Amino acid sequence: MVSAVSEPSAVSGPGSAGPGKARDVDPLGDPFLRTRLAVPARPTTFLRRDRLAGHLDQALGTPLTMVNGGAGAGKTVLVADWADRLERPVAWLTADASDQAPGVFWAYLLQALRACGVREAEQAGHPADPVSVDHTLLARLAAALNAREEPVIVVVDDYDRVSAPEITEQLGFVLQHAGPGMCLILVTRTEPLLPLHRYRAEGTLTEIREAELAFTCEEAATLLELHGLRLARDAARALVERTRGWAAGLRLSALAAQQSSDPENYLKEFEAGQSTIADFLLAEVLKRQPAATQDLLLRVSVLDRFCPDLANALAGRQDAGPILAGLHRANAFVEHLGHSWYRLHPLFSEILAAHLRVRLPGLEAELHRRAAAWLRSCGPLPETLAHGAAAGDWEFTARALVDDLAIGQFFTGPRTGVRTQPRSADLGELFSRMAPDAGGPEARLVRAARALTDHDVDRARTQLRHARQELDADRPRRVAARLSCALLEVLAAGLTGAPGRAEHAAQTVWELQQEIPPELLDRHPELAALLQTHLGSARLWAGRFDDARAALRTAAAGSGGASTAVPREESLSRLALMDYLDGWPGRAERGALAALTDAERFSLSEPAGPALGHLVLAAVAVDRDELDEAQTLLDRATAAQPEPPDPVAAAGLVIARARLQLARGQVKAALRTAESAVPAAVASPWAEGHTALVVSAAHLAEGAPETAAKVLRDAAEQGGACAVGAARAQLAAGNAEAALDLLADLPAAESSGPAVTVRAALVRAQAAARAGDEATARRLAAQALADARRERLRRPVLEAGPWLRRLLGADPLAGPYGHRNAAPRAPGAARTPGGEQPAPLVVEELSGREQDVLQRLALMLSTEEIAADLFVSVNTVKTHLKSVYRKLGVNRRGEAVRRARDLGLL
Amino acid sequence: MRYEIRVDGHMSETLAKAFPELDHVVMSGQTVLFGPVVDDAHLYGLLARCQSLGLRVLEMRRVPE
Repeated sequence: MVSAVSEPSAVSGPGSAGPGKARDVDPLGDPFLRTRLAVPARPTTFLRRDRLAGHLDQALGTPLTMVNGGAGAGKTVLVADWADRLERPVAWLTADASDQAPGVFWAYLLQALRACGVREAEQAGHPADPVSVDHTLLARLAAALNAREEPVIVVVDDYDRVSAPEITEQLGFVLQHAGPGMCLILVTRTEPLLPLHRYRAEGTLTEIREAELAFTCEEAATLLELHGLRLARDAARALVERTRGWAAGLRLSALAAQQSSDPENYLKEFEAGQSTIADFLLAEVLKRQPAATQDLLLRVSVLDRFCPDLANALAGRQDAGPILAGLHRANAFVEHLGHSWYRLHPLFSEILAAHLRVRLPGLEAELHRRAAAWLRSCGPLPETLAHGAAAGDWEFTARALVDDLAIGQFFTGPRTGVRTQPRSADLGELFSRMAPDAGGPEARLVRAARALTDHDVDRARTQLRHARQELDADRPRRVAARLSCALLEVLAAGLTGAPGRAEHAAQTVWELQQEIPPELLDRHPELAALLQTHLGSARLWAGRFDDARAALRTAAAGSGGASTAVPREESLSRLALMDYLDGWPGRAERGALAALTDAERFSLSEPAGPALGHLVLAAVAVDRDELDEAQTLLDRATAAQPEPPDPVAAAGLVIARARLQLARGQVKAALRTAESAVPAAVASPWAEGHTALVVSAAHLAEGAPETAAKVLRDAAEQGGACAVGAARAQLAAGNAEAALDLLADLPAAESSGPAVTVRAALVRAQAAARAGDEATARRLAAQALADARRERLRRPVLEAGPWLRRLLGADPLAGPYGHRNAAPRAPGAARTPGGEQPAPLVVEELSGREQDVLQRLALMLSTEEIAADLFVSVNTVKTHLKSVYRKLGVNRRGEAVRRARDLGLL
Repeated sequence: MRYEIRVDGHMSETLAKAFPELDHVVMSGQTVLFGPVVDDAHLYGLLARCQSLGLRVLEMRRVPE
């Protein structure tokens, strides 16, 4: 069964649910369903049982409460009634099949917390990736809840629908670390995979089980009285025995009896029967309904939720409204969710579905098709797609997706490549079932999008070509499909390094946008973000950095919502790469860290894109001669994706890896790495230039300056780093004049950062020293060293060679930096502590808790001791430590304390 | 693997259709569902299906092929 909902009034904040606000939409980009966050209403015949409510009051004193029993045991109504009378805010979440994706589950749980005014939920952030949720988000949430004065009460109803074991694990983690800040109540048919024995042993579990939920004879008699039936004591006892006090059984028998001519006798006969209770009673109640009602009930059994209009669409009638209202009043089968949405009681819906298959065989697919058609005009897209898929109508389903302009969600939603298990929430998974012969250009677009997520560009382009032909024949209609087609062409062009094609396709997208209703575009900020990111990436590949920056900055500055988290992160890391290539390591590092922090905040799973961010950090680390750190970052970048799919990241990897190998003295390996080809439609000037730079440096290291100079002869026109490299090679080959000419042509300062200017100044200093002008040489070298120190650039100084030591060794003014670096170290050797401190870089302020941990770290306390001192768990301390390290840009505690002292944080 | 699942009460023919992959036989106040079970996932799925239909499982056992 697939779920179906909703008109605007059933979702949160109609009108205000702007796409830009991450808070109003779940990670799939859909508005939160308000009905899932509301405490369910009780039926008119609800019987409050004080013994159960009294037991439930103990939930306020224990972190975990479990109410479990089979379908129809009366769990939900009990907790809902208790919660409503509590006079305290309760965060209520009804679990759903779509919660199999942890990101969706946590987004809903956080929304439930926000809905009942828990401010702590804001601090935790928003999961962006439906598939996974970042551990630090959970840690933030738990820590924030832990600090609360009064516990927040959280109810998760239908928890048995949450079958993904990692969600339970995560819930257990939050529960443990929230301490007294949270009371969790799980309403479930099956025991969750939490360590219940431990909670029981600690006395921190309140349990209400099926036996306790069962009705006693007195309660049963009272319940039947509410239905207008008076039963003798013996008859009541017999009925309880027959039904084992099962609430749904009692309710159904009351209904069946009410409708018979002799209720008392009817119940007596029922007692004597031997049929399975629910089955028999449901059939009894069903057959007493008018034919129209029976038909309607059978048909809506394919839906999780429905409103009268949707039910009408399925049954081909006009009178579903009064029928449903009547059924609800009679407390038969349907429950009211509010806003005139209903659902079948879960127990009955399963049995009714069985009846549907018997009585109206073959109708199921047609009903799904009708539901999909109705939902397409006024319901949320995922439900439409789910029903379309269940009906097996792929042409329709693909068209519904494309017409909604949702094709971008293949790239911003969960990624098929990194999925650990199939998810219902995953577009890729949904469409993986698509029939291979499904026709229509939209189905082709879907296939192309899936091929692109698999990085199979050839297959994607074949599909796109056919789709475009079919769409061109249908002009001027199908604007959304033509726009989607052009967007996918931009993405394909970005992946193949084809800037011309990207520009052309982007132009088409912008033209077609004029024909799309603005509100539809507003709902899909990911479209523009994806377009700008991949257009920018193609421009970057072509070396048009200014144009690339314009596009990437647009994408990076877009709405801060979850739906654009992936393109935003990719744009930020590409901007960082350009800063690095232009010689601004500090800016590059800040940019890459911003990209990674943003990715973390939205729980993007690696290697959704953080790969390039790590590559940039690795390259910066090489420039700073932090070679072990660089290796770690490189390993991280390539761990999940050894070969980046797009040429920009692939070239970045080649450059970073070759530079690291060169710095470690592995000249041959560096040359081999630099030779590895990056396949692309057009050549990239900077990729070629920077690769040539490494090759040239490798030849210099091997004592072949002529070869080194030759390698860079053409690349020198690329300006910046390449020109300086060429100058250095020329100088080494003895052509001082040629070297100075190259440096004289250096472009303006803005486009060349310290990594370039420091190297240029060192080459000038060396040339001056050779010419015998020691004073100029010393002045230039001192200036270069000062600039290098500010950016912590060690590598250019180390590269410069022994002449620098001779030059500065004669000069008493040279600081320890010059001395230390002038003494050549074995490549890759660990840095000695002390000496020159690099200019510190703080990206983020430490939180209060992180400060606490840091102070104890400075007192040489162990992790366990810190945990004990702060009354938190060891894991919490480790989480804080990790973010302290990240914020301070260090890897070890000793470094963290030193850096913190330098920054005056201690 | 072949299993038989014994549930309390007589199941109607209609409800038995909710287990199209299994045969069933009604005897002495109980219904026995029996047939091939593909794997563990299928097995747990059958149990969940019983629960969602309000059936009371009395016994579940593997039977020789």
